Amino acid sequence: MPAPASKRSAAETRRAQRTAPQPAVFLGVRHHSPACAHLVAHTIRTLRPAFVLVEGPADMNDRLDELLLEHTMPIAVFSHYRDDRRVATSWTPLCDYSPEWIALREGRAAGAEVRFVDLPAWHPAVAGHTDRYANRYADAEARYAEATRRLCRHFAVDSVDALWDGLFEVTEPGTDPQELRARLDTYFDLVRGDAEADAGDRAREEYMASWVRAASAHAGDRPVLVVTGGFHQPALRALTARHADAPADWPAVPEPPDGAVGGSFLVPYTFRQLDAFAGYQSGMPSPGYYQRLWETGPTVAGQDLSRAVTERLRARRIPLSTADLIAARSLSQGLARLRGHPYETRVDVLDGLAGALIADDLDRPLPWTARGTLGAGTHPVVVEMVAACTGEAVGRLHPDTPLPPLVHDVAAHLAHFGLTDAEATVRLDLTRQGDLHRSRVLHRLRVLEVPGFTRVSGPADGTDPVFNEVWESRPAGAGREAALIEAGAYGARLDEAAAALLGERMRAAGPEVGALAGLLFDAVLCGAGPLCADVLAALAAKVGQVGDLGPLGEILSAALGLWRHDRVFGTARDRLLGGVVGSSVDRVFRLAEGLHGGPGVDLAALRALAAARDALRHAPGLLSVSPAFAAEAGARISRDPHAPPGLRGAAFGLRWALGVPDDPGPVVRALAAAAVDTLGDWLTGLFTVAREEVAHGTTAGEHSLVDLVDDVVSALTEADFLIALPALRQAFAFFPPRERERIAERLLQRRGLRGSARSLLRTPADPLLLARAGALEKNVTRLLDRHGLGAPTVSPVVPAPARKAGR
Amino acid sequence: MTATVEEAGEALLQRPPAEVRHAEELAALRATDQDPRPPGWQLSMRAARRFIVGDEQDGISRKFVGNVSLVERALVTLATNRGLMLVGEPGTAKSLLSELIAAAVSGSSALTVQGGAATTEDQIKYSWNYALLVSEGPSARSLVPAPMLRGMAEGRIVRFEEITRCPLEVQDCLLSLLSDRVITIPELDGPQGLVFARQGFNVIATANTRDRGVNEMSAALKRRFNFETVFPIADFETELGLVEAEAAELLRQSGVEPPPRRDVLEVLVATFRELRGAAAQGERMSTVMSTAEAVSVAHAVGVRAWFLRGEPGGAADVVACLAGTAAKDSPEDLARLRRFLQQEAPRRQGPQWQALHEARHLLAD
Repeated sequence: MPAPASKRSAAETRRAQRTAPQPAVFLGVRHHSPACAHLVAHTIRTLRPAFVLVEGPADMNDRLDELLLEHTMPIAVFSHYRDDRRVATSWTPLCDYSPEWIALREGRAAGAEVRFVDLPAWHPAVAGHTDRYANRYADAEARYAEATRRLCRHFAVDSVDALWDGLFEVTEPGTDPQELRARLDTYFDLVRGDAEADAGDRAREEYMASWVRAASAHAGDRPVLVVTGGFHQPALRALTARHADAPADWPAVPEPPDGAVGGSFLVPYTFRQLDAFAGYQSGMPSPGYYQRLWETGPTVAGQDLSRAVTERLRARRIPLSTADLIAARSLSQGLARLRGHPYETRVDVLDGLAGALIADDLDRPLPWTARGTLGAGTHPVVVEMVAACTGEAVGRLHPDTPLPPLVHDVAAHLAHFGLTDAEATVRLDLTRQGDLHRSRVLHRLRVLEVPGFTRVSGPADGTDPVFNEVWESRPAGAGREAALIEAGAYGARLDEAAAALLGERMRAAGPEVGALAGLLFDAVLCGAGPLCADVLAALAAKVGQVGDLGPLGEILSAALGLWRHDRVFGTARDRLLGGVVGSSVDRVFRLAEGLHGGPGVDLAALRALAAARDALRHAPGLLSVSPAFAAEAGARISRDPHAPPGLRGAAFGLRWALGVPDDPGPVVRALAAAAVDTLGDWLTGLFTVAREEVAHGTTAGEHSLVDLVDDVVSALTEADFLIALPALRQAFAFFPPRERERIAERLLQRRGLRGSARSLLRTPADPLLLARAGALEKNVTRLLDRHGLGAPTVSPVVPAPARKAGR
Repeated sequence: MTATVEEAGEALLQRPPAEVRHAEELAALRATDQDPRPPGWQLSMRAARRFIVGDEQDGISRKFVGNVSLVERALVTLATNRGLMLVGEPGTAKSLLSELIAAAVSGSSALTVQGGAATTEDQIKYSWNYALLVSEGPSARSLVPAPMLRGMAEGRIVRFEEITRCPLEVQDCLLSLLSDRVITIPELDGPQGLVFARQGFNVIATANTRDRGVNEMSAALKRRFNFETVFPIADFETELGLVEAEAAELLRQSGVEPPPRRDVLEVLVATFRELRGAAAQGERMSTVMSTAEAVSVAHAVGVRAWFLRGEPGGAADVVACLAGTAAKDSPEDLARLRRFLQQEAPRRQGPQWQALHEARHLLAD
């Protein structure tokens, strides 16, 4: 355990700090913790500091008045940045019980100077180690996983959230704030342990320490309070003490480099965005519960949670008896006692409800036993419980707050493209550059659900050869601005915001393919560019989970088509689209091998193999599947007796198309002998994937395939022929008329006949009908013969199809 | 019953019950247990939790590697008036957990009803010694108590294994027993005819989700239980460690000298986890890819390699044993396994994965 060493060093720093002339008081907090917020308020009231320094973007310091208006929480400081190399966006979410928020408000109320002291969000030290959608107050515990794992093991709890609640949020009544502070210090010392901060954190801590020094120097004999994430606090103490003699001027706020655009502004936020269960890496789960905990204390918060769950379940008509609720309550209370909690914590209440209300086996572990999003297959009762914890609060900005830049950006776009706020019809020709840009703006607004423009017609998917779009616009009024302010949380610019929202939807989408294909096309319509990266990367990951071959093939051919050809939307050779192609092909082979079934043709599944063939041919560089691997898989599928015959044919064709053809003789003969009705299915599969190879007569065995099929079909009995005919016709329908004519010629040749191949193809009636008529006629003749009524030979009523010509 | 177990000596038993296996730990916990005990319990709830999830400082071994909160909910449930129903895939240590809880709470895990198609009410409540019944008539002497009656009279935990495999009528005989906490014996007169449950009595039932799920249980019975789903082990390292320890022990008992190779076990456990995970994508194996199954494959691998060739098992043995054990009788499972070996194995890094891929032909058609 590294803990003792760090405890010592913390103790030393504390000693060192006592001897420092201007003592700064460091308060390490956990972001979004009501207990820490109470502690901050209490400390400010008792300490009456001259300065309150808060972890937050220093470039917002000029606009603290704006921040401290009477907003409806939660809100967030949204920061954006772009230069020619990178694009970064980040949020600093604040809610009623955020310790940082309380520090700002209480600090100002107590007459202290309040300052944000962290580097701006665009700074590489902040933006560097998280992904593009960073959250400044994201949980640092994730980065100290080893230490928290040990702590959880020691205290016998499942997750760090449960540990935190038990240690800090729900404490004995009348716990001395000083004791809570000491406990927090120990906790953060332990968790940070000996772990090395990364370069980004070190830079931030150095910067924050320089603010602390300056504030101490300016405070005279009054104290300075520093409110930061608990993980920074041991380092900040040490840094401040170590460089006590360093110059104590106010640090400069870094400016973005020349040519870069950046800024921060306020946006409304929601509890749903804040919740770790729904989002991806944001702060503390269950903001709705913690809001109540902050407002009313643990007893009422627990009761409210039970009540909210009950109401939600009853609204969903999930039966719930009083006995169940009694059982849940006694379970919660028992758990709180067993776990040593003076009141029931969030997890106690949830565990009690889950234990008593769910009378089924679960497909997934209860979500509060670990961090992460709710997956598909989460029990409906659990979904309602999590939703009840999340709460429904939606933030609203004070009317005096400057509008988010998105509002201005959209207004500028609409004006530039002459898209007026009036009743009008907008017709766009997508092949013209200006109209294409207009279309993109409108699609981005559509994706952001900004009212005012409705699409009447236009291309329906990536392969639709329609190049015109029609939109109707109508006056949107105040609804548009409200929608834009809300959408302002997704980005500063229209393209950024649309891309961020599509990315969020993509991550939230299940593996249903329809939705994915729609999102892909939305991304394309909104303009593929670096900003769609997120959407496409998410799609590439999602196709790995698609369960149906047919729809997967559609995504593959759409993505491949866009990747190869699309000059209109500018997606040709897009690297990320290539990623979607690569993972789709991968998945196609996984699904195709192991697909079992009987006769009947699933054309969509066959087309998936054809799409994979195209990808192997035209984009081998994108694939992890090599042609050799594909050929091997093709061999396995084509030999699998349980695979649907159509798919076997397609796999056979795939090998042919890849230049490693097998001899079709044995397969065709075996099919004709064993299950003649599947011969056509098999040929359909073959022709879907390798029509050209077959038509060009490239032979795999000794004879051409047409000869082979002709021989086999000619040898069929009349009854078998009737069985085989429908599927065979379907198979040969794959050939365009010219190729069909060539096949007919070949058949005539084989029989030594002369005549028009074309007329052979143009029968006056449906050949199937003809064949049936022939069979009926024969039957009648036989019947007449048997009864001695036979007439002299009846001449054929019709010019017979090919096989009859041979007779 | 316990007496005979102890007399026989642990060494002679293939698998002594939990209270014998861990007798020392239980005694130590009992000796130091200061916390309040629920009425009729032999340990406090906290001590029972430490017994099951372990406590490194006090030298209490970790016996169940699942969620701590699951164990806590289970223990609290048993102290209320509802029974505990453990559900989950086969091989997720449900029975082990129920055995450990019974040993901790009641000091004995022996009161067990094994559910099955042939289970009757006699085996649950009571039956008669017919010789005595004929000669003396119904009396306390001629009554042969079954686990439920004993559990109620003695105030102990009763385990009901595989409850959903019993016919529904038989399951429902638990209804009055769990709500009124009394068994009536109409053949006996007076106070003997009513056996009331003493404090400490409760029922732990287990049901697996594969053969006959809990959906068929009557709603009336369902609501007398709190349900807990036991999941496969979430963490790779934990599962690997468990498989390694268990397989090494089994191999030692089978007279196999070399312990299993860790890199081979890694491949084996990863294969199991992968096939288990495929269920989420709609490719559920009909065979259960449980940790217990992984242990038995690891055991078979070691035995096969040692007695056939005199060396520790390799990836080729894994393939050979998987065919027989993991893909029992379902051609679909076999096909899935084959697909995994053909498509997935070559994508992984490491010589054992390579060997696994190369040995794919050992999978019989």
